[in-house]
Amino acid sequence: MKLSRRALLKSAAASALLAPAGVSAPAIAQNKPLKIGVLAPRTGLAASPGIAGIRATEWALEKWNAVGGIAGRKVEAVYDEETSPKDTIERFSKLVQQENVDHVQGIVSTGVGLALGPVVEESRMLTIFWDGTTQDGVDEKLPNGHYLFKSTDNECEAVMASLSAIKYWKGQFKKIAGINPDYSYGRNNQAAFIALLKRFNIDHEVVTEQWPKVGTMDLTSHVAALQAAKPDLIFSSLLFADLPVFMKQADAVGLTKNAKLVFPAAGWQHTAMKKEFTPEGMWFGHNTLYFANPNNGPAGKEFVAWYEDKHKDYPNWEADRAYFSLISYKDAVEKAAKAKGGWPSVDDIIGAIEGLEVESLGGKGGWRKDHIADQTFIQGFTTHKNRYDFVTLDKFDTMYSTELQKPAGANFWEWIKTANFKV
Amino acid sequence: MAAFANILLGGVFHAAVLFLVAAGLQLIFGVQKILNLACGSFYALGAYFGITFVSLALQFGVPAWALLPLLILAGLSLGLIGPPIERMLRTVYDRDESFQLLLTFALLLMFQDVFRFLWGANPLSIEANYLVYGKVTSGDFTVPVYNLLVIAAAIMIAAGLGAFLQKTNYGRVLRATAENRAMAEALGVDVSRVYAAVFTAGTVLGTVAGALVVPTAAASLDMAVDLVVEAFAVVVIGGLGSMPGALAGALIVGLIHAFAIVVYPELELLATYLIVIGVLLLRPAGLFGKQAT
Amino acid sequence: MKRPPQILAAILGASALAIFPLLAPSYYVGLMIPFFAYAIALLGFNLLFGYGGLLSFGHAMFIGFGAYGAAVMAGVFGVKSFELVLAAVVVGSAIAAIPIGFLCVRYTGIFFGMLTLAFGMLFHSFLFKFYYVTGGDSGMRIPRMNILNLEFAQYNKITFLTGPFYYYCLALLLIAAFAMWRIVRSPFGLHLRALRENPRKAEYLGVHVRRFRLTAFVISAAYGAAGGTILGFRIGLADPELVYWTQSGQLVFMTVLGGSQHFLGPVIGALAFTFLQDQLQSLTQYWRFVLGAILAVLVIGFPAGIAGWADLARHRPKARGAAA
Repeated sequence: MKLSRRALLKSAAASALLAPAGVSAPAIAQNKPLKIGVLAPRTGLAASPGIAGIRATEWALEKWNAVGGIAGRKVEAVYDEETSPKDTIERFSKLVQQENVDHVQGIVSTGVGLALGPVVEESRMLTIFWDGTTQDGVDEKLPNGHYLFKSTDNECEAVMASLSAIKYWKGQFKKIAGINPDYSYGRNNQAAFIALLKRFNIDHEVVTEQWPKVGTMDLTSHVAALQAAKPDLIFSSLLFADLPVFMKQADAVGLTKNAKLVFPAAGWQHTAMKKEFTPEGMWFGHNTLYFANPNNGPAGKEFVAWYEDKHKDYPNWEADRAYFSLISYKDAVEKAAKAKGGWPSVDDIIGAIEGLEVESLGGKGGWRKDHIADQTFIQGFTTHKNRYDFVTLDKFDTMYSTELQKPAGANFWEWIKTANFKV
Repeated sequence: MAAFANILLGGVFHAAVLFLVAAGLQLIFGVQKILNLACGSFYALGAYFGITFVSLALQFGVPAWALLPLLILAGLSLGLIGPPIERMLRTVYDRDESFQLLLTFALLLMFQDVFRFLWGANPLSIEANYLVYGKVTSGDFTVPVYNLLVIAAAIMIAAGLGAFLQKTNYGRVLRATAENRAMAEALGVDVSRVYAAVFTAGTVLGTVAGALVVPTAAASLDMAVDLVVEAFAVVVIGGLGSMPGALAGALIVGLIHAFAIVVYPELELLATYLIVIGVLLLRPAGLFGKQAT
Repeated sequence: MKRPPQILAAILGASALAIFPLLAPSYYVGLMIPFFAYAIALLGFNLLFGYGGLLSFGHAMFIGFGAYGAAVMAGVFGVKSFELVLAAVVVGSAIAAIPIGFLCVRYTGIFFGMLTLAFGMLFHSFLFKFYYVTGGDSGMRIPRMNILNLEFAQYNKITFLTGPFYYYCLALLLIAAFAMWRIVRSPFGLHLRALRENPRKAEYLGVHVRRFRLTAFVISAAYGAAGGTILGFRIGLADPELVYWTQSGQLVFMTVLGGSQHFLGPVIGALAFTFLQDQLQSLTQYWRFVLGAILAVLVIGFPAGIAGWADLARHRPKARGAAA
């Protein structure tokens, strides 16, 4: 590719990124603000988590910039939209090549993550996915990414919910029904649940499995089918706008009274799960942030209070995913800068992230050598005894993802059969 | 047996809502020969506005049992947007029908961001509980009274529309304009007024449908685009421009969708499209329509 | 249709495209790959729409055929040669289009539009539902392929796309455009236009209406698939959202933007839309509204599109009338 004058100047500015490890960037770079590109959905099914993540990013950056930024440099965020794989690749490329960001965060959708992964590596841009993997279902497709850091596996919450259902309700259920969104996430969650039941020799009978189209609002037939099957337990990883709708429609026909409910991903829509139609005693997953957790650290508590005050709302776990990515970057940069005595190179920062441990909003977290995150997961039983109009948790458990996700290079289904689960 | 009845009623409820939207489409197409892709947007608008309207009303102390009339009122009041949009469409009446289709597609795109701007990207649910009207229960069979009321409302609107179009003078004027615009104009009909009225009526049918469905579901940004395909399936199956067609088509689509889920889930999404294709191939005029081009 | 100015415009355009990578930042060069894909797909689409008078709301389905076809050939069967994949996909799409087209071309106007929309959505549902075969929402990967039997291994994908592959696509576009030019200037093309103006008369004169429309449909499918292969290669993934009906709507938008009554209109439209969308997305988060508004203004005020505008600028008032 021929280099024009423009391209040469651009590459000079970007030399900090492409410089081999050990050579520090020119002094000029240190007084410039750090630019972080944020790719998050703003419309469609994943809009509400996208917005929670953006708000968390804004809050964190404002807080940090007030006291000097990251390692002494102020941080500027460039927000762009995550849409389809094709368009998101383009926006990512724009952030890298035109906006010249130092780092990119974001991504909530599995399909986009899968498509973007190779592009991240080719672009050599340090990127942290909030809630994206590069897995096709449960199979890792980019095992040796260098520049890309990925979120915990999509099945963590299902594994925790399954283990919890076994722990608390073993012997109290036989007939199982599943209602999960009809795409890879829903299918793998349901399959994980059944696999764990088999692993622990829990006597069960799957009376029906419903697969509503992703995001559909018309769930009456599914509800009727569930009712007809008379299950003892309903497992559901519904998590889009269809979740509160399902709850409403299920409650209207009395389905929720007679069955035990296990909902690993309900926290995404938690403020829509109104007390009117959401029962108590349901197993409810908040993933990596339970906003009313009394054990939340000072940052978590401050954030939740700020969120309630500024947005009159209560954050879902995507806010924590965004914060976790941001604090990981910050801590890694500061750690690497201190070690080096100057501004770290990208490889320095990458090295600092590997093995890092941070305090995120919802609990502790960290990064594995294979660039997959470890985070704290919170799930528990619902209660109506609170000051809100939606359900919260009374008795809840936390588990760390080292107990919930397959180790590097492992096959998910084999790991389920052989792992040492604490139940 | 109870399951069958539950599913049947679920399908009929879905059909009732679809019928209202389809009736709006048929009215507009029948008289103005425009296929309104923005019908989905009107449906979503009805849902979002319905939520806001009911919230306000509840704040002003209106009792919870007024939910149904409030929603219908919310839908009706949105009729105000009918005339200005119709005026915009008027500029392309004489053009090729592709341009009309494209203009309504442009409206669909624009409305999406309008909703996001006004109501945000999160799906919204209504504050009032539709169970305020209670349920009808018999063993395992349960149906919320609200659903029955909506079905009844749709039937009444269907009957009313039918009577209006067949029995009243204005209805005759509408049918005449649909049949032969030039002739109607020659006979002294103020066609532009008719068009404005018809478009508004079609809009209102869509907004009322959206408002009525929102208590049992939610308002979301995707609802417009998702509905368009279903509504089109209904009018194709029923026959473009035909009111009885809208009813028949809505029932077929609603019931097939409801039963496919339980009987043959793999086919659920495909079933509707296969039927559309089947109808278009075997009887392109649809069940009740006139000859296709 | 317009004559010598078109050839001049084409030469100027091709030259501009050839030197573009040397002048423009690499991001914009990368943006051109989808442009090439859409330009080729739209040349086919406009054969049906501009020349044939048939508005299809399902053209994205053929782009999907192209992308998924590439995923199957290159991803599943491991075919390394882009030319082979392209050829197979184009032929496959054309063959698949025969039964679909056979059913669709019995109608015109709105019915044709709705039927094509239904087929497109049928394919979309199939891609989603039969995930064992199609990967469902995760789609199917499209690995890197060799062009002209050269691997270009020294280039990473980004430099490959903005370098050798850019010129390769430019060449494909020129070939595709040249082929389409010959098609529309041939007796077949003239008959197609006659069909659009007055089908009954054409039939009376011995033109087999349906057969011609079917041929146009199949050709458009082939072009669509070619575009889809390029697009899929660039993304690295074939996913179902490529096929959703609003994507077909976007294709129509691009064509109308460029001008459906001009041979190069679709190409201009693809270029304009690509840059328009890019700039708008950087400008405002409500870019969909602006795009919708632009489409509305186009339809109401400038139905002849950019190319029609250019005509007006050269004092050719006939351009406006031809749009109807």
